[in-house]
Amino acid sequence: MFKELDPLLHSQLRLAVMSILVGAVEADFVFLREKTGATAGNLSVQIDKLREAGYLTVEKSFRGKMPRTTCRISEKGLKAFEGYVEALKGYLRP
Amino acid sequence: MDSSFTEKESLALIGQMISTAKNNLQKGTGTVFLLWGYLVALISLVTFLLLLILPEPARYNAFYLWFLMAAGFPFHYLLVRRLENGPQVRTYIEQLMAWVWIAFTITILVAVAGLLAATAYRSANPGAPGAEGWFHWLFMTPFMLCLYGFALFVSGKAYRFRPLVSGGMFCMAAALVSLGFIYYSRITELNQIILCLSAIAGFIIPGHLLNGKQAKDVQGA
Repeated sequence: MFKELDPLLHSQLRLAVMSILVGAVEADFVFLREKTGATAGNLSVQIDKLREAGYLTVEKSFRGKMPRTTCRISEKGLKAFEGYVEALKGYLRP
Repeated sequence: MDSSFTEKESLALIGQMISTAKNNLQKGTGTVFLLWGYLVALISLVTFLLLLILPEPARYNAFYLWFLMAAGFPFHYLLVRRLENGPQVRTYIEQLMAWVWIAFTITILVAVAGLLAATAYRSANPGAPGAEGWFHWLFMTPFMLCLYGFALFVSGKAYRFRPLVSGGMFCMAAALVSLGFIYYSRITELNQIILCLSAIAGFIIPGHLLNGKQAKDVQGA
C-alpha cells in the first residue's frame, strides 16, 4: 500500500527549498533563488505557502539598507519532510 | 520548476539540493585566516628583532607589541560584515565552528587576564615565594599554540580541508618544542620564531589555499 505523498512537498520548487533548509540552520532568499534557479516572484509565492503550512519560519530584517529574508525549517516542517522521504521510499521499493 | 515529477526525480532533487549547502565555506573565509595569520607573524617578527636589538632590560618592553593583536578585532568585524553581504546560508558545521572560535578567543582572553593578574601580584609582593615575576609568561606561547592547534585541527576536519589539519598539527608540535625549551636561555627569542612559523603554517598558507579553492569552486559552479 503506497502512502500518499504530501502535496505541499511534492512540488519541485517547494521540495528544493525544503531540501536546502533541511541541511542548514538557515538560508536567505537570495541563496535559495540562486540554488533553485527560480524567479523571485515564484519563489516568494512558494515560500509563503510553506510558511502558511507551518513548515518554515520566515524572518525579515535589514543588513545595512538592504532588506533580507531569512528562512528556517520548523519542527513541523522537518517531520513533514521526513514523512515525505519515508513515503517516497515505499514508491521506490522493488 | 514543474510540479509534475516522478518519485525518482523527487529523490534526485532532494540529494542535489542537500549537497548545495553541504561543506559550505563562505567566499572570503580565507581572508579572515590571513588577517590573523599576518598579524601574528608580523608582531612576532618585530618582537623578535626588538629583543635582539634593544638592551637589557628595555628589550622586554617589546612584548607590549602583542597588545596590537586587539587591532585585529575591528578588521575581523568588517570582514565578517562584508562576507554577510552576499547570498547567505548557515550550515550546522559553520555554526559549530563559529562557537569553537568564539570559545578559543574567550579562552585566550581569560589566560591573558590571568597572567596579567599574576604579574600584578608578583609586582606588589616582590618577596613572595615562587619563580621570578615573568616566568609564568613563558607558558603563554605553548598554551596559545595548543589552542591554535586545537581550533585549526577541528576546523580542518569539519570542513575536510587538509591544510588546516596540517596547520593545526604543526601548531601542536610547535607547542611541544616551546615547552621542551622552556629552560633554554634564549627561549623568549625562540618563542617569537616559533609563533611566526606557526602563523605561517596554521593561518597564512591555509588562508591562501582556502581563497584559491573558493575561487576555483566559484568558477566551477
